[in-house]
Amino acid sequence: MDVFGSFALLLAFVCAVYALVGGIAGIITRHPLLIKSTRQAGMATCILIFLATFSLEYLFFSDNFASAYVVSHSNRDLSTFYKVAALWSGQEGSLLFWSFLLSIYVLSVLVVYRNKNGELMPYVGVVLAGVQIFFLTLNNFVASPFKMLGNVSASGAIEPFVRMDGNGLNPLLQYPEMVIHPPNLYSGYTGFTIPFAFALAALLARYPGEKWIHLTRKWTMIAWCFQSCGILLGAHWAYAVLGWGGYWGWDPVENASLLPWLTGTAFLHSVMMQEKRGMMKVWNVWLVFTTFLLCILGTFLTRSGIVSSVHAFAQSSIGSWFVGFLGVILIVCFAAYVKNRDYLKSENRLDSVVSRESSFLFNNLLFLVACIAVLSGTLFPVFSEWFTGNRISVGPPFFNKIMIPIGLALLFLTGVGPLLAWGRTSKESLRRNFGWPLLAGVVSALVTFAIGYRNIYSTVCLFLCGFVAWTIFLEFYRGAKVIATRSGMNLLFSAQELAMRNTRRYGGYVVHFGMVLIFIGLAGAAFTVDVQKTMNFGDSMKLGPYTLVLQSADTKADKNYTAQRMIVEVLKDGKQAMLMYPEKRLFQGRDQASGTMVAIYSTLREDLYVVFAGQDNDTNLPVVHAFLNPLVKWIWFGGVWVVLGTLLALVPSRKVSLVLAAAPEPAPATVMPALNPTVTLREGHD
Amino acid sequence: MISRRSALALTLVFVFGIVPILAQQRSDRVKTVGSRFLCMCNCNQVLTQCNHVGCTMSTSMLKELGEWVARGDSDAAITAAFVKEYGTTVYAEPPRSGFSLLAWSMPAVYFLFGAILVIFVIRKWRSRPANVLHTTPGGVAVSSEALDRARAQAARETDD
Repeated sequence: MDVFGSFALLLAFVCAVYALVGGIAGIITRHPLLIKSTRQAGMATCILIFLATFSLEYLFFSDNFASAYVVSHSNRDLSTFYKVAALWSGQEGSLLFWSFLLSIYVLSVLVVYRNKNGELMPYVGVVLAGVQIFFLTLNNFVASPFKMLGNVSASGAIEPFVRMDGNGLNPLLQYPEMVIHPPNLYSGYTGFTIPFAFALAALLARYPGEKWIHLTRKWTMIAWCFQSCGILLGAHWAYAVLGWGGYWGWDPVENASLLPWLTGTAFLHSVMMQEKRGMMKVWNVWLVFTTFLLCILGTFLTRSGIVSSVHAFAQSSIGSWFVGFLGVILIVCFAAYVKNRDYLKSENRLDSVVSRESSFLFNNLLFLVACIAVLSGTLFPVFSEWFTGNRISVGPPFFNKIMIPIGLALLFLTGVGPLLAWGRTSKESLRRNFGWPLLAGVVSALVTFAIGYRNIYSTVCLFLCGFVAWTIFLEFYRGAKVIATRSGMNLLFSAQELAMRNTRRYGGYVVHFGMVLIFIGLAGAAFTVDVQKTMNFGDSMKLGPYTLVLQSADTKADKNYTAQRMIVEVLKDGKQAMLMYPEKRLFQGRDQASGTMVAIYSTLREDLYVVFAGQDNDTNLPVVHAFLNPLVKWIWFGGVWVVLGTLLALVPSRKVSLVLAAAPEPAPATVMPALNPTVTLREGHD
Repeated sequence: MISRRSALALTLVFVFGIVPILAQQRSDRVKTVGSRFLCMCNCNQVLTQCNHVGCTMSTSMLKELGEWVARGDSDAAITAAFVKEYGTTVYAEPPRSGFSLLAWSMPAVYFLFGAILVIFVIRKWRSRPANVLHTTPGGVAVSSEALDRARAQAARETDD
């Protein structure tokens, strides 16, 4: 199977090279057969990568310990569930997995548009093939996952060697979320290749109008949705597994995933300016280019070891390849832009500063500043070492100080944007639209202040959350009311009808509502309290309304690990509430590596988060660290809303047809009935 | 002379009143000062927050910090001692002096530069004539409204 996998990868590389070279020749000669054959070569590349990926999975499932990659990342006792995840747990496999996910996108694009957009697709095919060639080069010649173990015999020949068992999977990855977090994040990273390919292709082909944006809008949203899910799942994994009580530590790998998300989000907003007003064409093209470049840069940061991170699982000297690839992309993009920049001239004028257009400009400015601030903060240790010889760390306090004001400003614009009209917004309209949302913001700030959440940033955040939530509510209410009046439906069904008539717009509002929930959760971080204590059995410690009593400890044996479990009785306001079981796992295989399993009791108000933090060095007694994390659950709820909103925006809008109402009884005399129909336009508010 | 009862009362006040307050103050100071440093186990977490399983550094670093705080060392002395022992990678955030000042000032510079750019773009867009005629490659002049209509039609036709 290893030979099959290697061969499939090599053949995929050959097909991709043909798709690139043949594609360029096809564009120049405009030979239809050549163009068709390169498209088919592109499809074949994808199928061959699928086969290679499945063959590596087969090596895991069949416990083939002649394979170096399987030995490094699996063992016999590893459950089937985690054998799937072992595929992307190391450098070589994760790069193959990257190619696999990219191939799913590429094949989908080639199949969906096989008979459409004949002028554009050859260019798209060439760009996609170029990206695939880079990853296939890594898969074949730099980091092959199909290397076999071997011993050099006395005669100098290499003899195959089979190990009895493997080293096992990294314990941090043996958690259910780790089976879905990397695929989501990688699907986000790879998904941004599609809008990049279309943008570059449109620029190279001077493809008229904004059609490339219409074509790639859904692909961008799919990639963005995966990226959002990946980031949130990663945050939840950090919260539940790393056991430090938080969900976001501004780790370089976390930052790397946030960078393309920020520019991707900016693009999803600014793209409306081009669609509605024909503006920001240069900006949009460069936003897409930048998003893709940041995806590659993020991968480079994770894998090169240039910045240190607790969850950079696959570090090596592969970084120089990514630097080279980044350079090539940058040169190609820049050359295409310089050659065809006249094609990107803006068409419209701005009527007023107080308009939707301006709000989009400032929204994009803030997203970009956030992106550059995170990037420069992440790379500052490297720069400081270059310039001063001392590596100066940039940790979470720096990022919090910089990013909280930017985040709040973005939240403010989330509320303001929908209240402003395209073109120009009158003072009267401003007064009418802003009154209730501002009042809602003030009420929510007062309520949270009254219940004890008193911190300047959190109060401002919760004020803005109330403000934005109310603007979203008003948007739905006003539109639904119009439909309800015309159709006689109740408000709830009218709201549903409204959303289905313009799924993109109202799906966007649902996403915004999800972001409001996430910000409510983030506001709670200012009020986290924790206590750590070395405890003997029977000892207790107090945390907020809870009293934690360490009752006893036991051990739990699993096929792949042995868990040492603390049994903690929780009393709330003096009454027995529950038992919690924080545990520490000792895994087999990897030199007795250990992992943690946090016990979390989660409510909308707060999470009681209990960690078995190890044993005291002096007394050998267990150390229990407990946190009271307010409002964290809102973050995960918000994430669900973000996904639901994106899914809604992906659904095609319901077509609204012009319906002729039954004509009134014909008038007895003068007017012919056919000339006097009562036209009822069942058009929703937009 | 203080009576035995008074001495006992004073001792009790000291033991149950002042000692816990002093201990609490020390513990608060350890938390405050400790939040300015990173744990050196490579986890990129603030020293007082790092408790990931298998961490070999945070316990000893916190112990050191506790000793210095108990001795009454100043914040500057503690910072200097940590930097001497672990290097500048121990900072949780860059110091606001020297080269590190760049890290703090750059986001503001990006924002100011971006804001100036946005204002420039807004002014440029506002100064454009209301109804621009665009010339197609064939030489036909097309108004912005016509382009908007064409754009809307393209949007409808491609909205799958």
